[in-house]
Amino acid sequence: MDAAQKSPVTSFATIAALLFLYAPLAVVVLFSFHERPSLSFPFTGFSLRWYEQVFSSAEFGSAVRNSIVVGIASAATTLVLGTMAAYGLGRIPQRYRAFLAMLFFLPITLPGLFIGLSLLVFFVQIRVPLSLVTVTISHLIYVFPYFLLIAWAAVERLDPALEDTAADLGAGPWQVFWKVSFPQLWPILVGATSLAFALSFDEFVITFFVIGAESTLPMYIWSGLRRTIDPAVNTVSSILLLLTLALFSLAFLFAFGRRQLLAKSIRK
Amino acid sequence: MPIAAALRTAKGPFLLLLPLFAVTVVFVIVPLAVFVIYSFMTSALFSVALPFTFDAYEAAVRSPLNQSLAWNSIAIGLMTAAITTVIGLAVAYWLRYRAGRLQLPVLFLVSASIFASYLVRIYAWRTILGRNGLINSGLVEAGLIGEPLEFLLYNWFSVVVALVHIFLPYVVLVLFAAFRPLTPDYLETAQDLGATALARWQRVILPLMAAPTATGFLFVFILSASDFVTPQLIGGTGGQLLGVQIQTNFKAIGNWPVGAATSILMLLFFLMCYGIMQFALWTLKLDQIRWN
Repeated sequence: MDAAQKSPVTSFATIAALLFLYAPLAVVVLFSFHERPSLSFPFTGFSLRWYEQVFSSAEFGSAVRNSIVVGIASAATTLVLGTMAAYGLGRIPQRYRAFLAMLFFLPITLPGLFIGLSLLVFFVQIRVPLSLVTVTISHLIYVFPYFLLIAWAAVERLDPALEDTAADLGAGPWQVFWKVSFPQLWPILVGATSLAFALSFDEFVITFFVIGAESTLPMYIWSGLRRTIDPAVNTVSSILLLLTLALFSLAFLFAFGRRQLLAKSIRK
Repeated sequence: MPIAAALRTAKGPFLLLLPLFAVTVVFVIVPLAVFVIYSFMTSALFSVALPFTFDAYEAAVRSPLNQSLAWNSIAIGLMTAAITTVIGLAVAYWLRYRAGRLQLPVLFLVSASIFASYLVRIYAWRTILGRNGLINSGLVEAGLIGEPLEFLLYNWFSVVVALVHIFLPYVVLVLFAAFRPLTPDYLETAQDLGATALARWQRVILPLMAAPTATGFLFVFILSASDFVTPQLIGGTGGQLLGVQIQTNFKAIGNWPVGAATSILMLLFFLMCYGIMQFALWTLKLDQIRWN
């Protein structure tokens, strides 16, 4: 298109959208370092007092530990079950594939409210007490569709001829997977697993219904939000933001960066 | 994990799918079925009892509170979806045709913001829009206003702002992906034939992007109309949604059948919206675009 005809409307919209998306987050982080408990201007000075207060809180410590345990348990289960399913989906007849994909993506098609409520009534009905176990199961349900979406696409891109060649050359099935498929897949699987962990780490909507007496990091923030203005909420939020954004960057780097690198090296 | 071995038999792929299939049936399908059954039962404080009736549905529909919250949910959902879709289209357009070398960094920023905690974002808006929040304290500090503005927080306005903030990145990504087959030469041809920027949007982009745009709109509408956290934290009295009442039925009142019936009616309404959208796209022949 002719440069003179380009209207600046969409450029402005993009800049405004990025500011709109990030400014509120920046504000939360900024005020986590405020020396006074007030969350309003003027900003009088920096201090680490809220971080000291948060890190010395036993409640915060146990919420973080719980979130990590639940995140690892649900992400690891997702890695195993999701990789197997991704392999299977690419190799079954089309008519089953559409049905199974619909089934597998149901948990992220429905709003979290319905998933959370149905899991709550289910656990109550089968008399399973609400605990971190019910939270982990619920997180598994919520994160595996995202994992599957990425892993399925990666498995589809594998060249079946490579696996067949390895098998023809006498590699056992175990060797074919570890020596041929896995080296091509692992960056994507690492990326998708960290994504699963990040989603679980930050999950609130479903957790809210299926959690027992324990707490997770988002539940800890929720209880802080229901109290009055508490600057420590900014600190905990900043920590949660930092952790999930770091995990996302890791996932992005592995799932996307590696693919770009690979594509470049192939073109060379 | 003898994957390759399993794949050599015809049943192999199904065996690999079995664990996840079992998990989905047990923890998604069965719970949803239990949930539907609950909606036909009789309330017994934080539990249910026999007999099976339609009473819960009747109570859910007749409740004046549910009725007003349902209208609120529709209004706030439509507003959020409209704003998000318009901004989403503009940003996706920029990413597709204008971004150049900035495409990957901006895509990264947009997708990263999805992972910024949902609760933290609602909280951020409470800090910004509140009576002593950043906008008010900043404006007072600058001497522009004498009294804090009251209309910013605890009403439908703050709920819409926070919901747009939550759903915008998803819509940008969905529409960006949808723009992919619409190569620049479509727009160049239109321009060569004398179409102005407005005409290009009206006659080329919007018809070709109708299906993904409508899908994105509906996605935001459904998710914001069923949100129950944002209105509780920053909705005040005017910005409450039906999801909050459903949650109250389960967690506070303990009337599970009415809560379940309300949820199911809401789901059926969403399904109906989806059906209407598909029918409209089909009637206008916008559902199956053939790209060459």
